[in-house]
Amino acid sequence: MTDSEKEQELTSSDKSNQDVFEIAKKELAEFPAPVLERYEVALEKLSGRLADESCQQWALEGLEIARKTVRSWEAAAEFFDASVAVQRQLPSGQFLKWAKTGTSLCEDSPSLAVAYFKSSPKSMLRLRPRYIDDWANVCRALYRGTWKSSALACRLFEATPALLETLSFEEFCHFGEFLEILSRRSYDQAGDALSAGIDLFPKITGDVDRFINLAQIVAEKSWRETAVLFDSATASLVELGAPHRAPLISLARRLVITGVSDAAGVLRDGANTVNRVPSDTRDRLLEMTDGIAAVSAPAAPEFLKIVPEVLERVTFEQMDQWQAEGIRNARESDEAAVNYFKLESPSSQEMLDSLSSSIELSRVRDIIQMYCLALTGRTIDVQAAQQLAEKNIGWFQGELPTTEGTTIYMPSVINRYTTKEENFGFFKVISTHQIGHIEFGSFAFDFGIQSNLFDDLRPRLPGATELQAAKAAEEEAKKKAAEKPQVVVFGHETAEERVEVQSVPAAEDQSSEFLTDMSRFFDLFQERRLALDVFTVVESSRVDGHVEEMYPGIMAMYEVVRRAALDSRPAVTELPAREALVEFMIRVSLGQIDEMLVPTEHKEAARKLRRLIRRVTSIEARVEDAAEAAIRGYSILIDIKNEELEDDDYEQLEPEEEEDSADSDDEDVVNPEDVIQQFMGQPSPDGEGEGDDQQDESDNQEFDDQGEEDYSSPQEVDYRGEFKPELSQLLSQMQMMESGEMSETGEMEPITQEQLEEMMKNAPEMEMEQAEGEEGGDQQVSEMIENLMKELQKRDPENQQFQPGPSQHIDEDGGPLTATEPDTYTYPEWDFRANEYKPNWCMIHEKVMADGEPNFFRETLAENSGLVAQIKRQFELVIPEMYRKQKRLEDGEEHDLDAVLEALIDLRVGVSPDEKLFWRRNKNERSVAVAFLLDLSASTAEAIDEAKKPSDDWGAPDDPVEYMVWLRSRRSEGLRRTYKRIVDVEKEGITLLVNSLEMLGDTYGIYGFSGYGRENVEFYTIKDLDEKFTEIVPRRIDRIAPLHATRMGPAIRHTAAKLAEAEARSRFLFLISDGRPQDRGYSREGVEKEYAVHDTRQSLIEARQMGITPFCLTVDKAGHDYMKTMMDEFSYEVLSDISLLPKRLPQLYRNLTT
Amino acid sequence: MGTEQKYNERNIEEYYIAEEPYYVSTSDEIEIFESAYRQRVPILLKGPTGTGKTRFVEHMAWRLSEGLTARSPGGKALNGAGDKLPLITVACHEDLTASDLVGRYLLDAEGTRWIDGPLTRAVKYGGICYLDEIVEARKDTTVIIHPLTDHRRSLTIDKLGSTIDAADGFLLVVSYNPGYQNALKDLKHSTRQRFVALEFDFPDEEHEAQIIAHESGCDTDTAERLARLGLKIRNLREHGLEEGASTRMLIYAGRLIKEGVSHRRACQVSVTWGITDDPQVQRSIDEVVTSIFA
Repeated sequence: MTDSEKEQELTSSDKSNQDVFEIAKKELAEFPAPVLERYEVALEKLSGRLADESCQQWALEGLEIARKTVRSWEAAAEFFDASVAVQRQLPSGQFLKWAKTGTSLCEDSPSLAVAYFKSSPKSMLRLRPRYIDDWANVCRALYRGTWKSSALACRLFEATPALLETLSFEEFCHFGEFLEILSRRSYDQAGDALSAGIDLFPKITGDVDRFINLAQIVAEKSWRETAVLFDSATASLVELGAPHRAPLISLARRLVITGVSDAAGVLRDGANTVNRVPSDTRDRLLEMTDGIAAVSAPAAPEFLKIVPEVLERVTFEQMDQWQAEGIRNARESDEAAVNYFKLESPSSQEMLDSLSSSIELSRVRDIIQMYCLALTGRTIDVQAAQQLAEKNIGWFQGELPTTEGTTIYMPSVINRYTTKEENFGFFKVISTHQIGHIEFGSFAFDFGIQSNLFDDLRPRLPGATELQAAKAAEEEAKKKAAEKPQVVVFGHETAEERVEVQSVPAAEDQSSEFLTDMSRFFDLFQERRLALDVFTVVESSRVDGHVEEMYPGIMAMYEVVRRAALDSRPAVTELPAREALVEFMIRVSLGQIDEMLVPTEHKEAARKLRRLIRRVTSIEARVEDAAEAAIRGYSILIDIKNEELEDDDYEQLEPEEEEDSADSDDEDVVNPEDVIQQFMGQPSPDGEGEGDDQQDESDNQEFDDQGEEDYSSPQEVDYRGEFKPELSQLLSQMQMMESGEMSETGEMEPITQEQLEEMMKNAPEMEMEQAEGEEGGDQQVSEMIENLMKELQKRDPENQQFQPGPSQHIDEDGGPLTATEPDTYTYPEWDFRANEYKPNWCMIHEKVMADGEPNFFRETLAENSGLVAQIKRQFELVIPEMYRKQKRLEDGEEHDLDAVLEALIDLRVGVSPDEKLFWRRNKNERSVAVAFLLDLSASTAEAIDEAKKPSDDWGAPDDPVEYMVWLRSRRSEGLRRTYKRIVDVEKEGITLLVNSLEMLGDTYGIYGFSGYGRENVEFYTIKDLDEKFTEIVPRRIDRIAPLHATRMGPAIRHTAAKLAEAEARSRFLFLISDGRPQDRGYSREGVEKEYAVHDTRQSLIEARQMGITPFCLTVDKAGHDYMKTMMDEFSYEVLSDISLLPKRLPQLYRNLTT
Repeated sequence: MGTEQKYNERNIEEYYIAEEPYYVSTSDEIEIFESAYRQRVPILLKGPTGTGKTRFVEHMAWRLSEGLTARSPGGKALNGAGDKLPLITVACHEDLTASDLVGRYLLDAEGTRWIDGPLTRAVKYGGICYLDEIVEARKDTTVIIHPLTDHRRSLTIDKLGSTIDAADGFLLVVSYNPGYQNALKDLKHSTRQRFVALEFDFPDEEHEAQIIAHESGCDTDTAERLARLGLKIRNLREHGLEEGASTRMLIYAGRLIKEGVSHRRACQVSVTWGITDDPQVQRSIDEVVTSIFA
């Protein structure tokens, strides 16, 4: 009996329940054991709950499933297993329907059925019975007979309970549909999307359908993006508040429909941006994006991306205007819109500038630099403060203005005030203060020079080192005394005296031991940090005093800044006594007059300190006066316990006018003799060892007081910034040696690492940092010393040309190159971050372009015969311009009236007349040499009608192997061409120009360049400057073809060197390029495009210094943004349509050279 | 070339300096000039524009006329023009020919008539002939002064076929500005080595303030600030500016200020805008102006 017969028999016979169950049992027993076991368990439970008939049908259904295929017994087992739970949730009719659905699934694949049954008990909790079929169908739709598809379908079954927790059934169907679409492309992607969805959906309830909608379109349009989409949605949508999720998803969907592929990016940037703006502006932000999307879809993602940057410069309302302007621009073309919202188009920048009140240093740098030059008479470099901190040579703050004596460092953006004028004013105030240090000689401090206003204490005070030496000598003497009793008397007698006596002459001898006079000065103090702080206040006040006197025009803004600085000072009453008094000094120096709170018991000290400040603010004060004042201030403050005080321990100090003027200005605030005694009595800083801890200990010993707080330095005054007298003096001394200003002091000994270490160890400027980070402090210091050594070497004129700067190139290490082979030349490269040249960094390989066929030249001329004639006419017009009337010639076109009159008079008088009676238009010698430099980079292989894609080669891989592959693929694209490439247009232009140039008789050369890496800059000569135009030149032109990358700097330098040798009055360098400079390692970390741009710019500046006029013609439509930086003060032109090049080139040439 | 009328209407008498031209000496230039004059050594004044070269010559002409110093070792009186020492100034330009200096025949109803050029007049009357910006003149022109600048002290007029020995009081003074001319317009060595050279530069701040105050009549404080401005702007020489701000410019600013123009505005119109067309340099100078003047 076949199975089917048996079945028929069973269904038709319908004899008794028992029979059916028995038969089923018998049949099922043939299958592996679990089937029967589970059947029996289930039957036992169901039989009581189902009507007999239903129960029979159930059993038969199970049997049918088991029999379906070889492996379907597993499905049957699952069926029985699930039945009990499912039955509880379904009416019997539905229950059987459920079973039947499973049966039919089993026909497709038993695995599907297994998954179906397995997930049913849980799914039924959330699924309405009438949807069972649909559910199965949604999942089944994923199955296409393959193993992968079945796995996916099963997974969807399994995931159903979880999904339905958050999804409505419609949404579930939708999701299934999406998975189906995606699975047609990739089961893996679909599988991933499924898992991601399970994670994601609960977090974005309410927007699931919208999101699936988006995902579906992405899957249709660019299925590879779906994984990223889910990732980014999980990351960003979740963070985004619910109200903004829907509009953002809809936006992304609309953008995807209109062709933007990066939906993930839209979500990511959108969420990021929305989260960054204040909550009340979020809706508006999305509306704005919608507005852009309506005009230009590709621009909208750029907008979302750039918003945070824009908001750093303008307010939200101002951004609204900027966006409106952008929309107006966007109507032109998508490209314009994208550039605008990428902040790369000039109009966009300008708009932002005009809206923004903030001022970026880079925009005013040149003005400030010239301002500083005017004020000081020295070339002062202006840099962003961050740069100094990065150098790690002792300055740590990246935001405060500072100077190291030759460069002033400023914050990169000022956005403190609401108007541009005020923000610029702030720049001006801080630069005036910083260069004030230079102009008014803070770093020219000379220990030996007398002060103007004080009795000099410096030469009379013992230095800490001296004290230490004296102490050591004393101990030595004691030791000796112990050994040899007869010396005891002698030793004791002189111990005290020796200190006294030594201090004066030693002060003179010792100068050589200190690197700078500043170091020597600070060596006088035991509490160096306090000394530095006091000196900083008095010296800054002195500079401010000078500024006030010399530049009254700036005082209005200065006052504004000072008031703001005062407002941000900590309250005096919150500080312990000594710090409170330092703070008091700062406040006095900032111009606070009223409500000066000082500790009651130190009122007298405060009065003295105030007098000190007043004194150094006078115009007569020099840096040495500030030093003397610092000694006095220090001597007052060191005796004041740094103890916490109660609020009522403070009292207001009377205004100065009311001060008892008995011991006013002329009298010293301290008794010099007392100070000397006080300094003599200082415990040696090294007496108990080194380091801060010990010093604190010694402090404690000295004062023996529990209420004593550790002294900490006051908060910097924002506009004064960081002041590092020792380091700055050292660095500026080096610089001055270079410029010969220090020549009278003779040769300076080379500085050794040990000396530096010694200085750093002692320098009060360094202590702060060490205190902050004990761990790794030594490491940090030694790093700093190393950097400082480098910095010094750089400044040392002797070393300069031999020291390659510290290699900043991350992806391109190695040192300078040497040109050993013939026809190789090395050139330096400009590192704009380090602000220095990297010597012999690039190697030019000069080659003569190989010969090709002359046909191209001939054909081009023939094809463009109209244009050729036109160019010739233009050039002919140049020729008369070269003629000028020349008088007093023996022969010529016509008589010169003046000369004839004179001759007649001469005749009448009887003297022999001048015979030079004619004038003539003579050829005014045209003396022009021009070099055309063609960019032969791989990107010129691009078809010109494809030029809508900006020829940005930043995709060039850094790895050499990958690079070659990349290159080959690019070039093979070129081989298959039937279209016109950029390079072809370049060739045409050159052909037409050369043809006409011969007529003018100018000296000209044609060169091409390309290359790969700094060692391999290829430089092709097509026609050398001194070479005659022969038939070989057209043949070389024929071989002009796209090669490698674009390293412009060295090629420009080489061409300039060639031009410099040419004998001509005017020299021109004509650069024809298709895009921005780019090469392996011609950027830092491969991303910093500015590096290449700045080097190119620098090479152009060099050319100009050699008397060459550079001109750049580019066909890169995206060229405006970087050309603006690169060609800032040079002429350039961006051709909107490359096909105009052959026509435009001769025009430009004519305009430029006449 | 129509320069015929230029000198024709002048009379030698007009060249006298009647009143003392204001001049502040910054070095020993007065003594040197006097010594050179006594020895009849020709003098070359070098220096940038607006440093007082012309004023110095005027001052010396007056000084020597006033007999404040003996004019020659023997204190011999001058011939021709009494005690006064005439000053004849010729501003040189690129079309200046030898006849423009020496003289030429003119046609009139009666026939031809010889007219002396300014140089000839100075030679005859014994005055100071001051050739301003000598390098501007054509090279062949400068050669005719050679015999006047050495022991011969004579002027050859080839059209008359005569040679004039210079009157005792005659002295040739030339000036040139080494700054802005290009190499082509440098003074020939055969010419320049015939002179003693006095270098002129801007006076120091204190002197300049004094000069500005005197010339413009503005108050001392303003004058001091203007002088400081001049000093600062001169720091920009070679860094965007070809020439520093001349004292003359600063004086003009002082005059405008005296007329009631605001400080900043006066500096802007007379200094900033005059000195350069480069907007960025203008801006930088403006910043200096606004720092110095409230």
